[in-house]
Amino acid sequence: MDNTTKLNVIFGDVTLGVSGPGFHYIFAYDRGGLESLVQDGKEWLYRTPMPALWRATTDNDRGNGFSTKSAQWLGADLFSSCDHISVAIDGQSIPLPIAPENNRYSDHETATTVAVTFTYTTPTTPATTIAVTYTVAASGAMTVAVHYAGKADLPELPALGLRLVMPTPALGFAYQGLSGETYPDRKAGGRKGIHQVAGLPVTPYLVPQECGMHVDNQWVTVTRGTTQNNADADHDAFSLKVRQTQHHFAFSCLPYTPTELENATHQEELPVPRRTVLTIYGAVRGVGGIDSWGSDAEAPYHIAGDSDHDFSFEIAGPTPV
Amino acid sequence: MKADLTWLDDPQTFRINQLPAHSDHRGYASVEEATAQHSSLVQSLDGTWQFAFAPDPVHRFEGFYQPDYDRSAFDRLTVPGHIELAGYGQIQYINTAYPWEGHHYRRPAYSMGADQPEKGMFSTDPQNTVGAYVKHFTLNPALANQRVSIEFDGVEQAMFLWLNGQFVGYAEDSFSRSEFDLTPYLQAGQNLLAVEVFKHSTAAFLEDQDMFRFSGIFRSVRLVAKPELHVEDLTIRAGLDDAFQTGDLKVRLQLTAASQLSGTATAQLLTADGQEVWATEQPAASTLDLAAAIDHVHLWDHHDPYLYQLRITLKDVAGQVVEVVPYPVGFRRIELKDKVMCLNGQRLILNGVNRHEWDAHRGRAVTMADMTQDLQTFHDNHINAVRTCHYPDQDAWYYLCDQQGIYMMAENNLETHGTWQKMGAVEPSYNVPGSLPQWQLAVLDRAKSNYEMFKNHPAVLFWSLGNESYAGDNIAAMDAFYHHADPTRLTHYEGVCRNRVYEDRISDMESMMYDPPRAIEDYLKNDPQKPFVNCEYMHDMGNSLGGMASYDALIDQYPMYQGGFIWDFIDQALWVKDEVTGQPVLRYGGDFDDRHSDYEFSGDGLLFADRTPKPALQEVDYYYGQHD
Repeated sequence: MDNTTKLNVIFGDVTLGVSGPGFHYIFAYDRGGLESLVQDGKEWLYRTPMPALWRATTDNDRGNGFSTKSAQWLGADLFSSCDHISVAIDGQSIPLPIAPENNRYSDHETATTVAVTFTYTTPTTPATTIAVTYTVAASGAMTVAVHYAGKADLPELPALGLRLVMPTPALGFAYQGLSGETYPDRKAGGRKGIHQVAGLPVTPYLVPQECGMHVDNQWVTVTRGTTQNNADADHDAFSLKVRQTQHHFAFSCLPYTPTELENATHQEELPVPRRTVLTIYGAVRGVGGIDSWGSDAEAPYHIAGDSDHDFSFEIAGPTPV
Repeated sequence: MKADLTWLDDPQTFRINQLPAHSDHRGYASVEEATAQHSSLVQSLDGTWQFAFAPDPVHRFEGFYQPDYDRSAFDRLTVPGHIELAGYGQIQYINTAYPWEGHHYRRPAYSMGADQPEKGMFSTDPQNTVGAYVKHFTLNPALANQRVSIEFDGVEQAMFLWLNGQFVGYAEDSFSRSEFDLTPYLQAGQNLLAVEVFKHSTAAFLEDQDMFRFSGIFRSVRLVAKPELHVEDLTIRAGLDDAFQTGDLKVRLQLTAASQLSGTATAQLLTADGQEVWATEQPAASTLDLAAAIDHVHLWDHHDPYLYQLRITLKDVAGQVVEVVPYPVGFRRIELKDKVMCLNGQRLILNGVNRHEWDAHRGRAVTMADMTQDLQTFHDNHINAVRTCHYPDQDAWYYLCDQQGIYMMAENNLETHGTWQKMGAVEPSYNVPGSLPQWQLAVLDRAKSNYEMFKNHPAVLFWSLGNESYAGDNIAAMDAFYHHADPTRLTHYEGVCRNRVYEDRISDMESMMYDPPRAIEDYLKNDPQKPFVNCEYMHDMGNSLGGMASYDALIDQYPMYQGGFIWDFIDQALWVKDEVTGQPVLRYGGDFDDRHSDYEFSGDGLLFADRTPKPALQEVDYYYGQHD
């Protein structure tokens, strides 16, 4: 990789474009997030990634009333709004570059790094914020850092992550971590290694619920074979890789959002898979297991609502040619 | 004697003309047959039967058992199977409440007073469905001119039996074998067997297990010939000396003869590869007590489930072999030592599961393929113990557990959950069996059936009195029965924790279900009197089984903590054709318009209902592997 290569930066009126060899990213001010993530000509985003604050209720959650206690987070998962955006070029904050502020730029702007922070406010009582900072390096690698601001009186979180919805269903994914479906309180049996998963399996619990979690990962690569681009006749498989930064991360890669799972009472009620929902988690609540009618997951496996949480991961840049 | 419908209403009438329960040994006409495990003395009646369904006793096919009854309108049904899964009668899943919840107000007979027998509760119940079964058979030559009995391995929940129009008998207890002597009623040529099965009787109060509620002849039916000389009962005690070096074999035979007891009985003990290590021959007698000391005995346990074979050979006065009875023998000793349960002198760790018999196509009419697959899953995941929740299983399962070294908690067919616990609260203002004298014989009979049938299986380490049936004099009487009948095993019952007045009289172990690890630790730290077992723990409903580390940690810390049985092995759900797509889908309670229901609460298995493993199984494999 040529470290002297600089990012092209397009200071648009509605978006901030960032590109380089083999990648083009668009941060949309009006959509409140990363709108486009194109690598090697393939779009990876269906809608802007949003904080993941809900998990589809497990039988144990239902039994111990956790979903009731934490119901605010369902609303927050669906309806948090982006109400603050900041941009930093080469590590320096700049005024939000929209007209007339961006009138001073040209069509030939470059930078070494571009960082955009979207701050989401939750419709909870009290409200709190979740800031998502995307920092793009010249290679096209993008570090994503998420900061959850703890607030007294907020219930424990069902989940804390960032959800990337991709336009088409994946062919499968590979990851380095633990075998099988694992949670913080159920991972001892997971074998370390590189694991390949074909398709987007949904664990067929009698009642669809939170599933498919993988904890303690170094990387995950999602592979697709189709896009929604009408001009794209190429059907060769293509991949996107997410890597750990400082700490291992957890993820699930499913064809459904939590609310799609939440709404179904049987597997056959789930919609036809149309997209890939890759959620990278910074914190995962345990599933519990003492009983299914009152016992909570053990305390170390809760996610406190009243304390700050930070996590980060990297979306790898395109493979250098 | 004539059949009487009011037996359905009377908890004191539960077996009429049934033969006494006895060991589950099988007789063969020759050593060759025994080796091939194919007995010419047995004639299966499984297969297609004639069948008619009535929604209630009033509309039943009265007299259908008469030879001249017009059964041209009868349908066909496969035995074994559940009536509901054949499309008759509504499928229902319900957990603790009784299946008539919201439909009938009921109190068990005599539970509100000795003067309240609740007459007509089931005999006039407009929702008590009735199945009329008819089977024609002609005896195989090997059975002709012999004494012949009929064995029903499982009929839910009450059955009347006729042969050639004559009433034979009546049975309850859905999960125990019911046997009747047909000899007086048999005729040359074709015989007409008729069974009338009622979905409910007072047995319903004793069979409130957390399961789909079915009816019908759901296990095998067979005719069994008793040759001139016959082993009626066999009791094997294969103990050990204190050094675990010498096997202490005691065998009691109960023989009968068609005419007169004569000839000889030979007993041999063979090694697994067929070497004779002991033999004796005795003149035939109604009771024969045999004993032997087996030097350098090969012990039986989970890792090395070594089985000898006891072979009983009965010969007539002419020296002709008339019956051969083989039975596996495992030498092992289960005992309490310093309040710790020990097998062959070693502390026992139970890496167990609770297992309902379940097949998503066939309900509780499970197949040998289901059983062998389940044992493979046990083997692959360090599962070493099974609780037969909450009823005796098919007898094949016990033989398989003998062979595979699976420790069995052999549970009685008993659960009266809905009588003492309502909406989660302990509320025993009325309950059965409690201390009601009118209910004692029924539960003791269930205990006896369980004991007599399975007493010879080395895999059975514990007798379990039942599940979630509170505690009173009648449960205490069951415990006393087991201890009296069988000093070589331990008893188990969890429900005494709900009524600790009885704790000195019920259960050799402190058994709890779903106690959090900290509560178990409290028990273990405070001068416990009995070893601790989780008869149910790690409720694997849906996406669950988190936190197993905390239970596992107790094993190394507390010798009196001896593990437990995960709830449970397999989801109970049924394959049905999706009404929208036509595809096969798994359905659960409430999906059959069944109300009141407990919906998906039957989905608590380590396996999905189709026997594929849930992701959590690898966690079980890991932790059970730590103390295998």
